[in-house]
Order: sequence, then C-alpha cells, then structure tokens
Amino acid sequence: MKRREFLKSTCAALTMTALATQVRHFGLLSAYAQKNESFPPSDYRALVCIFLAGGNDGNNTVIPNHNDSSVSNYSVYYNARNSQGLAIPQNQLLPISVPRMGGLTYGLHPALGPQTQNGTTIVNNGIYELWSQGKMAIVTNVGTLVQPTTRQQYQQRTVPIPYQLYSHSDQVAQFHAARSDQISYTGWGGRIADRRTSQDNPNALVPMITSVAGAQLFTSGQLTLPLSIAPAPTGLNQVLALQGYNSTSASQARRAAFNDLRTYDLNHQLIAAASHITEQAIQASNALQSYQEVTVTFPNTTLGNQLKQVARMIKKRTDLGVNRQIFFCQLGGFDTHQNQPSTHNSLLLQVSQAMRAFYDEMVVQGLANKVVQFWMTDFNRTFNPAGSGSSVGSDHAWGNHLIVISDAVTASDFYGMNTSNGTPFPTLAFNGPDDADSGSNARGRWIPTTSVEQYAATLAKWFGLPQSDMPAVFPKITNFPVWDLGFLTAT
Amino acid sequence: MLSKTESLISSFPRKPRGRGGEMKKFVSVFSIFFAILLIAGFALSQEDPDPNSPTPILISHSDSTRTLAIPAKQWRGQLPKEDTRAFAYGAEIVIFITNIELMPDEGANAFRVYIQDSSGREYRFPVLDLQPVKGKGWIYGLTVQLIDEIGYWEEPPAQGDVLIRVSWRGLTSNRTRLGIGFVGGKIEDDPESKPTPAPMEPPKKNQDNTAEYVGRRWSGDRIRFMEQATFGPTPALDARIRRIGIRAWLEEQFNMPYPSAFPYPNLPLMPSTPPPDCNGNDGDGVPDNPPNCYRERYGMYSAQSWFYKEAFYGEAQLRHKVAWALSQIWVISGTDIQQSSHMIAYHQVLSRNAFGNWRQLMYEMTLNPGMGEYLDMARSTKNNPNENYAREILQLFNVGLFMLNLDGTYKRDAQGNLIPTYDQQVVNNFTKVFTGWSFCEDTTQCPNRTQGAINFKDPMLLRPNNHDLTAKTLLDYPGASTTRYIPACSNCTTISAITTYANNSLNQALDNIYNHPNVAPFISRILIQHLVTSDPTPAYVQRVATVFNANRSNPNQLKEVIKAILLDPEARGDVKTEPNYGKLREPVQFLTNIARQFDVRSADRTDLSDGVVSVETNSMGQLAFMAPSVFNYYPPDYVIPGTSLNAPEFAIYTTSTSIARANIVNTLVFNRINVNTGRGVTKGTSISLADLEALAAADASGNQLLDELNWRLLHGTMSNQMRNRILQALNAVPATDARLRAQTAAYLVLTSSQYQIQR
Repeated sequence: MKRREFLKSTCAALTMTALATQVRHFGLLSAYAQKNESFPPSDYRALVCIFLAGGNDGNNTVIPNHNDSSVSNYSVYYNARNSQGLAIPQNQLLPISVPRMGGLTYGLHPALGPQTQNGTTIVNNGIYELWSQGKMAIVTNVGTLVQPTTRQQYQQRTVPIPYQLYSHSDQVAQFHAARSDQISYTGWGGRIADRRTSQDNPNALVPMITSVAGAQLFTSGQLTLPLSIAPAPTGLNQVLALQGYNSTSASQARRAAFNDLRTYDLNHQLIAAASHITEQAIQASNALQSYQEVTVTFPNTTLGNQLKQVARMIKKRTDLGVNRQIFFCQLGGFDTHQNQPSTHNSLLLQVSQAMRAFYDEMVVQGLANKVVQFWMTDFNRTFNPAGSGSSVGSDHAWGNHLIVISDAVTASDFYGMNTSNGTPFPTLAFNGPDDADSGSNARGRWIPTTSVEQYAATLAKWFGLPQSDMPAVFPKITNFPVWDLGFLTAT
Repeated sequence: MLSKTESLISSFPRKPRGRGGEMKKFVSVFSIFFAILLIAGFALSQEDPDPNSPTPILISHSDSTRTLAIPAKQWRGQLPKEDTRAFAYGAEIVIFITNIELMPDEGANAFRVYIQDSSGREYRFPVLDLQPVKGKGWIYGLTVQLIDEIGYWEEPPAQGDVLIRVSWRGLTSNRTRLGIGFVGGKIEDDPESKPTPAPMEPPKKNQDNTAEYVGRRWSGDRIRFMEQATFGPTPALDARIRRIGIRAWLEEQFNMPYPSAFPYPNLPLMPSTPPPDCNGNDGDGVPDNPPNCYRERYGMYSAQSWFYKEAFYGEAQLRHKVAWALSQIWVISGTDIQQSSHMIAYHQVLSRNAFGNWRQLMYEMTLNPGMGEYLDMARSTKNNPNENYAREILQLFNVGLFMLNLDGTYKRDAQGNLIPTYDQQVVNNFTKVFTGWSFCEDTTQCPNRTQGAINFKDPMLLRPNNHDLTAKTLLDYPGASTTRYIPACSNCTTISAITTYANNSLNQALDNIYNHPNVAPFISRILIQHLVTSDPTPAYVQRVATVFNANRSNPNQLKEVIKAILLDPEARGDVKTEPNYGKLREPVQFLTNIARQFDVRSADRTDLSDGVVSVETNSMGQLAFMAPSVFNYYPPDYVIPGTSLNAPEFAIYTTSTSIARANIVNTLVFNRINVNTGRGVTKGTSISLADLEALAAADASGNQLLDELNWRLLHGTMSNQMRNRILQALNAVPATDARLRAQTAAYLVLTSSQYQIQR
C-alpha cells in the first residue's frame, strides 16, 4: 500500500490543510484525529513489547509434559532432542494444565519459575506462578505469514511466502512491521500511534511510544517518532538532561539562544527534521525533570533495568498527560547456535525475573489489568539440535510460542489458530505435517498457523484501535479470517 | 564526468586571485600562456576550475511571477506566449529555465521539480524531458508531469496557485507561481521575488559570487570538500588544499601510504577462551601480560582507538574515509567478532581495496575470515548450508532487492510494479557455491596460523569435502547467460578436481554478481550518500555509475569512482541552496569533525589523543566497528517519519541521541574527555579554542568570532537570524571573558541543527 492510499483510507474526515500544516510544522500528532470520537479515553492502557532478539527457542520454552500419544508428547520431544543434549528432563519442567489441549499438561522452561541461584539476581518467583493465577497467555505457533499457508502450499509455493525466511534481519523487520509480503518502512507500533495519538493523548507531553532500546522499526510510523531514552539505572530525570548549564546569566543566555536556533532555517528540510527531533527531546526533558521511584525491586539486569524505566514512565503517566502508551524493550543473545542450555537458561531467567518484577509493580500501581507485556522474537529455532554435547545449540526456524502477561489476559491457556492436528500446538515431527522442511534431513521448522498480524491485531484491539482501522495499520490482516485471537479481555 | 571545458581548465595553472571579473579575465589569458610552458612538468601546480555551477533561473511572465508554461502537447519548441492559464493535475506541461551550463549527456534526470501548495506541503513532480528552445539555446524547456512522484501526500488539491521551483546540482531556482485547477488562491510569493522573464541573449558566464561568502575564494567549497573527503577540515589542511588544489590533493591521497599516522595494531590471534594471563582478572593469581592484555586483544578497544587516532591525525584521510564507508556496506560487527585482530584483518581488506577494483574486493571479502564468521560462511557446508552470506552479498553488498536503472531509480514492469532481482531459489543456489570454505588451519598454507586460536588473519581455505558439487543456477539478467549456470561437477573424484571446481565456481558466481547491472548504480548511490548527500539526483548517480562501469576491469576502478563522486558538480560549489541537499553528520564523524577543526590533543594537551572516545560516540548511537546488525547503523533507504526525506543517518537521530550530541559538545567545549583513572590509564581527549579566544579578545563585537565559525563550520551559510541570535547570547558574557565568549559561540554553532547537517 502506498502512503497515499494509507492516508486516503482514513483521513477523509480531516481537512488536508490541517494535516499539512501540522506535518509541516511537525506538530504531527493530531493528524489522524477522527471526528466521531471527541473525548480521550477515561482509562489508561499500555502495551509493553519485550523483543527476544536472536530467536528464542520456543521448542524449549513450551514443551509437552504428558504421555498422550494422540498429540506430540514428552517422548516425542525427548527423542528428538535428548541424544544431543538439548532436552530438558521431564522432572524439571514447570507443569501447566492447558484447557485448549483438553486439560493436558505442558511444561514451561524451568528458568521461568522460582530459582535459588544461577548467576542472575533472584528477586522474585518468576512468571510461572502467573499461569495458575490466570495471567499468562501463550500464543502458539505464531510467525511471519503473507496469508494462511498449508504445508503443501508452502512446498509448492502456490501462495506467497514471507521474504527471506530464517534471516534474522528480515524476520525481525517483519515482526516489527507486521507484514511479510514486502519491506515496510514503518512498524506496527508506530502505525498505531499515527492513528491514535491525537485521539487518545491530546494533551501529551511525550510521544505515545517510548523505546528504552534505541530507535527501532517497530516504533516508527509515517508521522510518529518515538521517545528514545536510556534504561535504568539512569534516572528518568537524567535520560534527556542537557548538561553544562547553570544559573549564571551567561549560561541562561546561551540556553535561550540554543532554544531559539532550533526555530531558524526551517526551510532547509534536513535542518527542520533535526530541529524537530531535538525539540521533542527538550519538551520531554522538561516534562521529566522529576519522577517517583518504583516500589518493587527490579533485578539489576539489561531487561530488568529497561522495564524499571518503563515502570517509572508509567508511574508518571498523569503528569505526562498520556492515556495510551506503547513501550519497546529488547534483550539480545537468543541466537543460540551453540552452548544453548546454559545460555538459554540464564536468558529466560533474566526475562522471567524482569517481567515478574514489572508485573508486581503494575499490581502496586493498580494497573495490572491495564498493562500488557508481550513477547516478540525473530523466529523459533530448529527442533533438531545443532551439534551435540556441551556445545549443543539450534538453528533458525519459523513458527514460535509467545508469552503474554497481564491481568487483562482472558484466561491462562493456549491461543492461536489450530494446526492440522486440530489443536493450536504443532505436531513435533520431522518432515511431519507442520514441518516446513521435508525429506530425511528435515529439521523441524513449524509452518506458522497464526500470523504476526493476528497476534498484533489482538493486542491493538485491546489497546483501543477500532476495527475499521485494522486494515490500515495491518495491511495484510484481511488475508486472515480471525483478527482477535481472544487472549485479552478489556476490563 | 566533467565537461570538456571543465577538464580542460583543470589542467591550466592559475594563481589565486582576488575578487572581481576584470582580474579573472586577465588571469585566464595569463594562465593559458603559462599553461603552454608549464603543463607537462608541474602537476602539483595545477589549479581547480571554478567549482560553482550557475544558479538556475525559472522563467516567469515579464510582468509577474507567474510561471511561463505551456501544455506539452502544444509545445513546438519556441518560447510560448504569456498566457495566464491554469493546468490540471496530471497534465504534462513545459516550463522554462535558463542560466544553466549542461555537460554532455546531462539531461532531464539532472533536474528535480518541487512545488509547494498553499498549505505548505511539498511535492516532487517527475521531469520527463529537457530540450533547448529553438533559436535560444540558453533557454531550456523542461517537460514536467503534474503528478506527485514520491506519493507521500494526497495529490495536491486543485486549489489555485502553487509555488514551483527547479533544482539542479544542489542549487534551487527562484520560485514562480503555477495555477493548478485555477489561477489565483492564497499562496504568497517569496519575499523579494520578482519577475524573471526570458532573457533575449545568453546570460553572462562565470558570475563571480565569491563576495557573498566568508573567507578566500572558494573557501566554502574547500570546507565542503574536506567534510566529504576527510574526517573533518583542519586549518592546516585547508591551507594546503588552497595552495595545491583539490585535484592535486586527491592524486596525493591516492598514492599515500596507509595507515599514515599509526600502524595497524599488531595483535596476536588469541584463543576464544581468554587464558589466565589475558583475562582481565588479576585476582586469579596470574597477572595479565601485557598488563592491558584483555582490553587490547579481546573486544574492539584496540581497533577503535587506532581508528580514531588515524582519523584525527592521519594524512591518508581519503583512504581512511572510503574504507570507513565500505565498512558500512560490507558490514561485520564486534557484536559477533571477538577480537580486534580479527576486525583489523577485515579492515585491511577494505583499505587495501578502497581505491582498487570492486570485483577484487568482492573476492577478498568473501574469503575474509571475519566475514566468514559474521555471516556464517565459515560454517556453511554442503550438508549443513547456511544462506546468510549468500543473501547479504546480494541484498546488501551488491545488487539490492529490485532492478535498477543506471541512474539508480527503480525499473518497473508494465503494471508499474518493482521487479525483484532474485528469489529464494537464487539465494539457495549461491549458498551452495559458498559451501566448504572455513578458517585457514593448514600447517603449510596459512602463515598466520596460531596454535590454540582460530585463524582470523589468513583468507579462508577450502575444505573440499564440504563443497557442494551439484548444479547451480544464479542471477538472471540480460547478459547473464555466460555466468548463470554452474553445472554439477562431473569429474570430482580427487581433492584437486574438487578444489578446481570450487574455486572456478566461486569466481563464476562472483562474476555473475559483479556483472549484474544493478551493482554500479547500487554501490555508486550508497557511496555518494556516505560522502556527499543523502538523496543525490539520478543524474549524479548515473554519472558515477557510468564511471564504475567504464572501469570494470581497471585495477584502480574505485579511485576513478571516488574522483567522480567528489569532483561532480553536484558535490562541488561554495554553497548549496537546494533545501533538501546534504546529510546528517553521523556521530562518529560529528565527533571527528569537531576534533580535527579544533586541534584535538590529549586531555592535558601534552600529547596526542589516544582515540578512546567510544563511550561518547556510543551515547550518540554509533559505536565504531560495533554496528548492531549487518544492516549497518542505519539503512540507506531510511525515510524520516513525517517527511518524504531519504536521510539514512536520521535512523539513529533520536530524542536520546540528539541530547547526547549536545552533551558531547558541552564536554569538548567546556571540559574534556577525561582520562580513565582505573585500570589501564588513558590519555583522554580535548580540543582547543585558542584561536577563537584570540578573535573574541580582539573584537568585542563578536563579529570576527562569528565570521570564523561561519567559515570553518558552516562554510558561510550561517543565516543572519542565527548570527544575530548568537551575538545576542555573546553579549551576556563580559567582553573581558574571551574564553567564555569563544566557548559560548562554539557551543551554539556545534549544537545547532544547522551544523548537524553537512551540506
């Protein structure tokens, strides 16, 4: 879809003059105002993306923990992964009972539960407990798709296939963009913000999106720029602090000139673009001059510090004038071609500890049902291990299982479209009905049954994106029959 | 590349001269006389031609600023009558320009036409044709379609007059009125605009506009040239180039030893697991030997500090600069590359070939062990192939995803769709070709092999048994038939036969890529973006791509390409008035430009800087040799949200990094980059504003100080508004405090958006 069509499809109500003037002056945020909604929402909601960069091994994150042979069971998993040293012993799995699977027991990676010690600061019991409390959804076999794709269609290439499967950069971009038919210059977070900012955050002092992990495709819209800030331990009042000024008249005069220079020479468009971003930074900096520390203890880890900064921002939401926010966090290191067992364990431990601390903080802030943490990641990893012994790992694959944590979760369960076996969990068989690979060298790369668009649209709907805006934000959602996977319920 | 006139002039020695046309004529005659005497012997005394192109003038009616225009169908080659009429959106019309001097083959794609409507939006209209007016060769008719080329906005509403302008070589014309839908409407003319009727005789050539700019003749162009060709202007380099000219300086650069200031760090290959005497942990009972062993050998510290020292102080600036640009195309990163020695072996491939032949660079980079590690070719075997390198050598390093014209614009099929360059099958087939090579661990063939460490210095070596022997079908394009098909090996029964087959296949596959018509425009455009401007005109790309292709078998191909980029009229000139021209300074060069301009030294000023500035550039979003992914720090096609501007470096210009830039300036101007007082003492980095202080002390008005900053940092483009506002801030500083005045002025210019953009 060309940008023009995108604009055309929803902006009819807005006078083009207003749009242009605002864009010209970089007061972009009300560009997508809709005439039929005149009040901002009465509640607060936030989406918190946790990107597991490198491709999390979902096959070792959610594991069959039963002996029922009518679907893939623990023995199938054990036989595929044990001899090379990649199988997790059954007695270490954290059992979960899954209604969608007829009450069969599955198992989570042990790092997601209570730990005694493992090199990472242990500050809480992890996210596993939240399953039994009904706060964890697992969306199974999600991945990049252009349209629903059967194994036969994939193998015969009778439907369009996402570009550059198994390539980090391309698959990451497709998760960020929520489209897989072509390269996109905007991310789905940014496109939601394009649509919703003026309606939801009319008095905001900061953009709708905040990244604590740098500029990302996910956070860029056509009009939207994210607030990009450093994670904790940097204080929220320091993330955008201009250094070197004091109260002397010379210093104050310099500061005033510094601000004025940003308003000059705007006919040069590159200068104007730079000034616009700096202006946004200065405005946010002014708004962030003080903050309140969070209550809960966060682990002093990469993700722990990112989520701590997010929690501080959320605690300051009223001052910042925001009703809807989207956050982007990222933890790298999941590309476990080698030495997977120890690496993966410590990464998932970090994720679990950080997400649980954040969840607990949201409970304290009274927002446990208003904030949703959700995973994204490059892709799943091959069911077939790579190498063996202590250096065992796994390679790039496709459909994956993604965890969502919130009190807004409908019920702890598996979600997503059924695979060919009639359940949402793929058949764990090499050259089997869900394997993109074929032949004797098939390595177990599950063809997704639920698309990134469906996953994202479900989150977006809960966030407040109207159904009518879905095709504009998710251009290929119309290829899929179900736009709401049901794992979130607004309360 | 250059017009005949220009290249002829370039070989004439000319003395520097003062302002004024009379002097100029005299000099021309004078120089022709001397040229005959001196042309053979004194290459260094050659002087450059005037770098300035004339400013195009868009022709209006004689009594108003209404654009002289006619529907394309009605144009018969003459100047039309001055009809006051409106045009429909989508119509093809002819508008008229003068005061341009075209090079041979310079045509419609050298021009861009922009309009602004009454609500302030800008559109770009495609330029379809350029023809001289019959009998008036100094006037050209430019055929334009009134349709938005970029497609960012809704089509412009038929709401009356718009302002239209023509852009050429980074220079914009005046703006005139054009009625779309109807004539009239609320848009106002630019201040001071006046009718520009068709001139009845050719405009005078070589208008001398030097007087408008600060400093000596062409000093603006020289500053701009140094920003493009080096890691930043210095007063000394400016003086030298003023003396010998940019062409003579370029020739010097092409032949200069490299590295010129500091040799590449000579580091041994280390085991993947740091040994006790090099693990940065003296608490284990085994002290590190040498004391900073771990920091120097593991991680990018040594590569980075060497890189900055060479950028700060090296004479061979151009090779360093081009190697840096190439490192942002053929990306590998310390995120996955463990040791500085590994990165340096990779950098040596880039610098060795920076003025060499692209095909040779492709070959050496393919077998470079650092690249093999980063994109997994070193682990790719016939039974366990990895397509990473195969994909990126196509998508990112050479060809791109869609078919290009020679000028870098997209080709389209009959339905207007982009045409993919390859599909997954092609990637799979290249993957097969690239199987079997791995780290050089043979006792006889690998001179740098080190017991216990992986050999990241010697090119990768074939393991014949791991090479795929099946048939491959490669890239398809006109002329690909000689390289496209690699048959299965029919005689691969011996190691030597397999080796021959594998090496032949590799070379054929690289030829198949190199010969793809996309390579020249794809690479030319990215190199222009790195050196000169983010969104070059198609004509500029085409001129460079033509040089690329004309030198395909020249061992000095890239030398010619770099010359073509830097000497192009779109690159040269004292000032570029086109509002979209230029590029954001990337963080690394933002820092080096400031450092070089202000006498960078160690923190205590007694020694040279040690180049330890990675913390600073990292806060600005760019850590040398640590690109976050193979997609580099920023993608070449990045478009700034909320605009239609293609500006790659803006991908890492965020709220966070924009504040960091200001804070780095604060550190350098008011303080210094401190020495590390912990383990491994560093020398730190500082700049000196002594020359600015002298000007501030000498002139209490601040004008001399501002002149100097305007010239050295903004090559004379500082607007009066900006200048006056800085002077106002200076007045709050006592005139006796020359130091604080110099600091205040430098801080304000260096932190300004006007300086962030190199243009």
